[in-house]
Amino acid sequence: MPPIVSIKDLVKVFPSGTRALDGVTLDVQRGEFVVLIGLSGSGKSTLLRCVNRLVEPTSGVVVFDGIDVTAADRTAIRRVRRRIGMIFQQFNLVRRSSVFSNVLAGRLGYRSTWRTIAGRPSTGDVAAAFENLGRVGIADRAFSRADALSGGQQQRVGIARALMQKPELMLADEPVASLDPATSHSVMKYLEEINKKDGITVICSLHFLSLARRYGTRVIALKGGRVAFDGKPDAIDERRFKEIYGEDAEEVEIGPGTGPGPSAAAAAASALADDASTASARLGLPDR
Amino acid sequence: MADYFTSRGLPVPPELQRNPLTDWRRLSLIAAVLLILYIGLRITAIDTGRANPEYVINRISLLFHWDFSIMSPRDEFETYQNTAWWKMIETIFLGIMATAFSMIIALPLSFLGARNIMTGNPITAAIYAVVRLLFTILRSIDVLIVVIVLLAIFGPGNAAGVFGLAFHNIGVMGKLYSEAIEGIDAGPLEAITATGANRVQVIWASVLPQITNPFISFTIYRLDTNVRLAPILGLVGGGGIGLDLFQAIQISQYGAAGLIIFMIVVTVAAMDFFSAQVRKRLV
Repeated sequence: MPPIVSIKDLVKVFPSGTRALDGVTLDVQRGEFVVLIGLSGSGKSTLLRCVNRLVEPTSGVVVFDGIDVTAADRTAIRRVRRRIGMIFQQFNLVRRSSVFSNVLAGRLGYRSTWRTIAGRPSTGDVAAAFENLGRVGIADRAFSRADALSGGQQQRVGIARALMQKPELMLADEPVASLDPATSHSVMKYLEEINKKDGITVICSLHFLSLARRYGTRVIALKGGRVAFDGKPDAIDERRFKEIYGEDAEEVEIGPGTGPGPSAAAAAASALADDASTASARLGLPDR
Repeated sequence: MADYFTSRGLPVPPELQRNPLTDWRRLSLIAAVLLILYIGLRITAIDTGRANPEYVINRISLLFHWDFSIMSPRDEFETYQNTAWWKMIETIFLGIMATAFSMIIALPLSFLGARNIMTGNPITAAIYAVVRLLFTILRSIDVLIVVIVLLAIFGPGNAAGVFGLAFHNIGVMGKLYSEAIEGIDAGPLEAITATGANRVQVIWASVLPQITNPFISFTIYRLDTNVRLAPILGLVGGGGIGLDLFQAIQISQYGAAGLIIFMIVVTVAAMDFFSAQVRKRLV
């Protein structure tokens, strides 16, 4: 089976001269849950944004399901984008609008400009919006303003919005970096569910190695815009960890009783939280 | 104080070396200001000789002997359209129409004058620069100057007043609108773009919801300002109640002038209250 995403020699140099990606080559197979790790500035966000061309690569090729994304014209790139869902660290909801209209916005790629402006959402879209809100457990908040929701709830709205696209691939850019540990697990569990039940391929960048080990089927580490590690999550030992995060880095824990947010250099997990299923059981999270 | 530094062998900071009472720079600045004020007094030759206290009190009290005859037609040649209350309504609508005209023009222009919408390619960036320059030029010319210039085109009357007011206001509203657009959160734009929406859809779904409230708020604020400015337009021939006020003072009808001033004050206060209420609710 051909890979859903195939990236070859991808380079991105920003106008400021920053070389965010420096020759990345990798394939992602359908159904994988790929976790991208690496220090801040290692190119994780840029790599994700090159896949749906929110960032224009300097050189190299990105192929999505046989379509050359890097060569696609405006119409073609929009057709690719609507097959790729994306969620963000800052959720990127329209804060003043209702949860419901935020979720409906996920269908825009399938609607004409005229229908966007003059039309009402179709019955099918409304039904899908409530179904997806129900899946992430916030159907009862559909008509609240988006900024009235907690961070975890807002990220779930983000997931529901992306699900409206009926995506084949989900890009998640630090989806839990603004959330506390307990909420992080709940959001990650929804990503895990859409990966396992719906077969949606997930590429997710994360700061915490414990989350990467718990949810990823494959971990790719970036360092200075290059792939520093690519393999099974449990293959990351002490030595590899130091290679990825630098000699001074230490693993920190994400789990009950720890503060949110990684420090500048050190990201990741602890031996205590390695068995994340017990950790989430202690947190009393829904086991979906 | 300087001892602290000298005893430790450190250089004394300049602000400690000067004595503020004898520092020549400070003294010469004070002297220069006094000199300019003295020259100003000689050149303007302000003469307050006429205004002895008794006279001032007399004139002010006349302003409060309101002449209500201006509220109805005074002879067979006048209709209700010549009455002060009608003129006041007309003046309020001068402000409303000026706001409406400038809004129609400023609204589309403001998108062209928003940096975050127009960056990307050199052509749009050039349009952005031109539009912003236009706003600055429009704003920099005072309303009364524009009205006077427009007298040459429209002659004295409401047309010169409305368009003069609108001219200046396009610059102000354009700038306010553009800055509201520039102040939006870029995150939703990125997210909506990622769903495969086109440019118009992105603006519709992520920009518009973020700017409607600031736009309404700025429009009400400018409406408030324009209604406040409208009574002044008449003084230079721009129509409205200002002309009646000007004439009343000229022919010493202080009772009429006082009543007109009172009406303007009430209108402006009401507008101010209304504007504040609406804007408070929008935040």
